[in-house]
Amino acid sequence: MGLFESLHIFIIALYALGTVLFLVGVSTDNDKLKRVAIWLAVAGFTFNTIDLALVLGRDTAALNAGKFYFNILAWCVLAVYFFLWWRLRLEFLAITALPLALLLFVASLALGGIRIVMPPELTVLFFGLHIGSLVLTLGVLMMAFGAGLAFIYYNRKLKTKAGLSSLGKDVPSLDKFDTVNRWAVVIGFPLFTLGLFSTFFWYWIAPGKIFTWDIMKIGSLAVWFLYAFLFHQRVVLGWRGRKPAILAIWVFAGMCVSLIHHTITFRAMP
Amino acid sequence: MNRKIILIGLNHRTAGVEVREKFALTDVENFEKGLMAHCPVNECMALSTCNRVEIIAITENVPERDALDSLIQYWAGVCKGSPELLVDNIYQYSDMEAVHQVFTVACSLDSMVMGEPQILGQLKDAYRTAVEKGTARTIINRLLHKSFSVAKRVRTETAIASSAVSISFAAVELAKKIFGDLEGTKAMLVGAGEMAELAATHLLHNGVQDVIIANRTLSRAKELANSMGGEPIQIENLPDRLHEVDIVISSTGSPVAVIKAKDVKNVLKKRKNKPMFFIDIAVPRDIDPDVNSLDNVYLYDIDDLKEVVDENMAQRQEEATKAKAVVELETTVFGNWLNSLELQPTIVDMVDKTEDVALRELNKTLKRIGPVDEKSRKALETLVLSVARKSLHEPICFLKRRTQEEGSAERFIDMARRMFNLDDESIPPEAHLDRKPDACTSEDIEKLIDISKNKEQ
Repeated sequence: MGLFESLHIFIIALYALGTVLFLVGVSTDNDKLKRVAIWLAVAGFTFNTIDLALVLGRDTAALNAGKFYFNILAWCVLAVYFFLWWRLRLEFLAITALPLALLLFVASLALGGIRIVMPPELTVLFFGLHIGSLVLTLGVLMMAFGAGLAFIYYNRKLKTKAGLSSLGKDVPSLDKFDTVNRWAVVIGFPLFTLGLFSTFFWYWIAPGKIFTWDIMKIGSLAVWFLYAFLFHQRVVLGWRGRKPAILAIWVFAGMCVSLIHHTITFRAMP
Repeated sequence: MNRKIILIGLNHRTAGVEVREKFALTDVENFEKGLMAHCPVNECMALSTCNRVEIIAITENVPERDALDSLIQYWAGVCKGSPELLVDNIYQYSDMEAVHQVFTVACSLDSMVMGEPQILGQLKDAYRTAVEKGTARTIINRLLHKSFSVAKRVRTETAIASSAVSISFAAVELAKKIFGDLEGTKAMLVGAGEMAELAATHLLHNGVQDVIIANRTLSRAKELANSMGGEPIQIENLPDRLHEVDIVISSTGSPVAVIKAKDVKNVLKKRKNKPMFFIDIAVPRDIDPDVNSLDNVYLYDIDDLKEVVDENMAQRQEEATKAKAVVELETTVFGNWLNSLELQPTIVDMVDKTEDVALRELNKTLKRIGPVDEKSRKALETLVLSVARKSLHEPICFLKRRTQEEGSAERFIDMARRMFNLDDESIPPEAHLDRKPDACTSEDIEKLIDISKNKEQ
């Protein structure tokens, strides 16, 4: 087994163990387990960073092909989670971040074969504008998805007077979950817009590419409209709480469908 | 040595409020001094709160019945009550049962509201008084210190005190689930009832920045605003100010709803949907129940809050089982210590500990110098054990002499046990606030010995 395979198995083991321990920690209300799970995630994240650096260091052309995208996405989900944990002390969102990071990392090994053709001098620009912003948006939306589900669940508990014990001792307040949604809208929507519309630029610079409307692009635009609606309602009309939480879940679901569609389409390309 | 720990007391379960009032101790300091003077006790301490009076006494070479009778007579005499009435309403425990009771009280397992934290503070105050007056000595000192650590253990290892068991505390906990940190939030009191005032005080203590007090009579609102800080307004101005506040506590005597759902809908628009928490503790209710169906608005009436409290009480009962197990265990540990307050087990412990150190040091040296034959090893072992035992001759001789003196056995044995740390105790850093936090590792002590010896030379 080579260095990369061992490293990948090690990262998967760390993410998987972290996920299991965190879920057990939440269900048994065991703070120690949760803390261990977070440290395992930190270790997994560190090795994931090393893995990405090694892949790029060995061959920068790796950006254009292969198993890179889901790997970056897994890394990005955890990066956004750590940021939220640092800013809002939202340890709880590991319940979404850890399983998703695990899933995406495993998917990155399984779903190889995407090939992107572009002039080498434009690689950095392409990644900075298009992939970078979309990956970040997805990372932010994944957290909003988790926070949205948590908000709806605990909001219902509060509304139906289910009692304090059902609200959990260490579960953050509804306001904290709503703040994640606000950040996902305020930061995520401009990033998504940039990522999406840079596609036109991409078609303009990529050799032999002509822009045509197809189901993939129409789907992406539909998600953008949904996101734009959420942005408008939240930022302009001052929506808060349940409604933006539900909308964020729909936007995330749309993004997922779009991502899977993109992956399948690109894999099928010669 | 025929030593006994005796505990007599009454509480909300054994005595009605009239009896508790009658036998409450108003001057505990003099009561303890009187007990020492008039009863055959070596040590004593009294705890008197609104729900309980407990007297712990240590007797020696006195029949238990005599000691109990004299305690009851003295207590009844001080309170000018009948000893028969007192006997009918008290509980009596001795030795391990008494220790168990002290731990149970300290852990708040015997309190009216199980898990409430005040009793531990009251016990600490009572102990401080007994120490100041010199009525708490070796055994009570140890018993109370132990009870504080047991209480701490119960609080950290169980969730007995983690949930809200009063209406106002439940309201604060719910508010925290909505707003998180209450820092910077604003509350409004609608009506100036006592319960609403209590809830508002709790909210203010938990970070609520400002309170608006809306009442029909402005003078009462002003009075309340002066006592708790806040802004008094006439209740008619309530709709104009409602959008400013995050938490509303209502307790008016109005027969119709004071706050309606359609009003709150407009308020929410003004607040750009910022969440609001309504606490309606009035009967009949002040706030239209439909308010709860609006997004970002949470309404809890008195019954909802009571349900929260009841659920938490049930949860505390479950936690009490775990806490009781801790108390049982710690009572056994304390019993072991009590038994060790005899000279013989202390000598055995001292010798064991010193021999253990000697053998450990020998092993370290043997590892350093390499393999030695069995004969040399045996000789070295005999040497170190002999040095260890000989070094204890003088301390043991001193202890033997002191324990023959009247009334000083326990004090010196306890001191020896602490000096040699025979009970493997760890001292928490906050135990002695007035002392410097000196490090006591092996290396530190070695360094101290070297410095002291060099200075001497």
